[in-house]
Amino acid sequence: MDRMNQSVAEALAARGVSRRGFMKFCATTASLMALPPTLIPTIAAALEKAKRPSVIWLPFQECTGCTESLTRSNAPSIESLIFESISLDYQETLQAAAGFAAEEARNAAMEANWGQYLLAIDGSIPLGNPGYSTIGGVSNLDMLKHAAEGAKAIVAIGTCAAFGGLPNAHPNPTGAVAVSDIVKNKPIINISGCPPLPVAITGVLMQFLVFGQLPELDALGRPKVFFGQTIHDRCYRRPFYERGQFAESFDDEGAKHGWCLFKLGCKGPTTYNACATVKWNMATSFPIEAGHGCIGCSQPHFWDAGGFYEPLSTTRWGGWKQLGIAAAAGAAVGAAAALATRAGTGAAKKEEKTS
Amino acid sequence: MSLLDFARGPAFHVAILIFVFGVVWRLVGVFLLRRNRDLSPARAGHLLEGGMRAILMRSLPPHELEKHIVFQHASGYGWHIAYFAAFLLFGPHMPFIRQFLGFTWPTLPNTWCLALAAIALALLIVLLLRRIVNPVLKRITSVDDYISSVVTMLPLITGIAANAHVQLFGVRYEELLALHVLSVCALLIWFPFGKLMHLFLAFPARFQAGVLLQRKGVEA
Amino acid sequence: MSPELERRALGAISVAVEFESGNVPLLLNELCHALERLLADGTSHALDLRAIPLAPGEEDRLLLALGQGELVAQLEADGLSEIRECAYPGIWCITHRNPAGSVVGRFIEVTFVPALLASQRADVALGLVRMTRTLRGESRAQEGAGAAVPPEKAHH
Repeated sequence: MDRMNQSVAEALAARGVSRRGFMKFCATTASLMALPPTLIPTIAAALEKAKRPSVIWLPFQECTGCTESLTRSNAPSIESLIFESISLDYQETLQAAAGFAAEEARNAAMEANWGQYLLAIDGSIPLGNPGYSTIGGVSNLDMLKHAAEGAKAIVAIGTCAAFGGLPNAHPNPTGAVAVSDIVKNKPIINISGCPPLPVAITGVLMQFLVFGQLPELDALGRPKVFFGQTIHDRCYRRPFYERGQFAESFDDEGAKHGWCLFKLGCKGPTTYNACATVKWNMATSFPIEAGHGCIGCSQPHFWDAGGFYEPLSTTRWGGWKQLGIAAAAGAAVGAAAALATRAGTGAAKKEEKTS
Repeated sequence: MSLLDFARGPAFHVAILIFVFGVVWRLVGVFLLRRNRDLSPARAGHLLEGGMRAILMRSLPPHELEKHIVFQHASGYGWHIAYFAAFLLFGPHMPFIRQFLGFTWPTLPNTWCLALAAIALALLIVLLLRRIVNPVLKRITSVDDYISSVVTMLPLITGIAANAHVQLFGVRYEELLALHVLSVCALLIWFPFGKLMHLFLAFPARFQAGVLLQRKGVEA
Repeated sequence: MSPELERRALGAISVAVEFESGNVPLLLNELCHALERLLADGTSHALDLRAIPLAPGEEDRLLLALGQGELVAQLEADGLSEIRECAYPGIWCITHRNPAGSVVGRFIEVTFVPALLASQRADVALGLVRMTRTLRGESRAQEGAGAAVPPEKAHH
């Protein structure tokens, strides 16, 4: 049977995986998509019919961290993902081909699946000068516009693709923008994070595979299943926050007891991501558990949000010098007002209008 | 720039500058005013003690009225104490205070502060309603009183809402936090120009009255 | 510093913070209620441990509290999975691993028999086909020397 037209169930069976093994696959897929175990039969039914979608992955102004994150995925593993669940037709870091052969493979895959492929983008797009980031002489901007035309949907992977990310941080020397700033007529899912959780990437691809549609998105276009809760709301250190037990500095007694990192600049309360539940490196840990506050890497403009070690309750106030100048100005105005009043009452007294 | 970035950034920056400018303006403007010289000799000495005693005595209800104004008096003290405790003894506020003072102090658990804030807000609402309903109070209430009430209550309302992660009208936590900071900005901007200046003027005014009365030999 | 001293120093550093967020008794209560429902009307229940924010060490404490029962089954399907009945019959702990050995899913099921333990209809059908072929092959081998080969029966 043509591998491209196999359903996921058939692909698994062709690899010698039993029905039990398929059920195990459905169970872990449900867990990965944060769906309740009661939906496993639904997933099984869907995977029996679902055909593996073609995925074209274009890397723009990026650090390859998102690809690195994806390859750390263990559920499904990258191998399982590529062989059973999707048809990853172009991915520069993982593919064997290079140069003209790779370009031809990409163009062939796009043509063969025109209108049906998932376009995965990581990295921002520089508008300052198209020459800042090119692949094979083609600017990111042109490549995105062309590839977007034939895509069924676009997955903007990582904060750079979703919101502009690091290149977009002040002063944004390359004029970097997000995918959604350029493509306006296709559905875009933003999987933000620097990098995103592997399960967020694979979960969205599996959602597309199982249900043939995009997951429910929040106001910033991120799948609610992974970005619907703040870190603060799922953090295991929350009881310390509520009890008022904070670490005052790194490595102090509070820090050693695992107390809340709010005062060390943790942006957990305003950051939407699943790190606190899903965790990193096969559920080993996440930054707060390791003793460092959340930096808010899945939020837009987190690089310019006032500093990773500035607590959320601090503000910009200008410093004592500026307040001193304001006080001096106020004193001058107050003195002028008082003197004017005194002159007025003095004059009124002279004219015996008041005592 | 998000609403929270705006609130914590330029909005607060401008608000605190206006606050300092306005408070110093008003204090200097008041303290430099001419006072009529009393040409008669002082009836009694110890003028400074007289001033201090007035601060103390005027913090208590006048003997003749004390039975009639119990609610007013107790609720006034009640909400002031609860308000300042909720502000100054709440853990997450400490970095805010540290950025000005360079030091902090021990704090209360969050739930205690939430309870104190709720008590302060409840008392403020009751007092505002009383002000509207009572015919005498209504007559003597000005726009300044209403505005000052509202800007005082807003940080409590927004702070409680943010802490409780209220989800009304799809408002998210970071927006509630931004509204909380903006409500504090509003309080800071209004502060110098209304009756909230009593924070700085009440005690000097009592002191001055005490000195004048002591001079006249009044036993008060 | 000699390697021995270094090893001792490293071992003395506590990497796990002792912390209790109270999830374990809550989850045990949920499982207790699920057992009641199972006995009352046969309703099964399942918990996905990956979906619950557990503090470091809490998952281990939960599994320790649930204990070990009589039955342990190992499933070799695209990696090793373990289906273990806990010390409380009816509560099963199912751990899925991928071929690399990493845990990819952990469920607690409250049921009489977890679905994964039963043989699957599709697998039984395929197995029947294989077995029939094997038997046919063996009987052909027995009659192989000299006897006529029986006509092939088409099986699908």
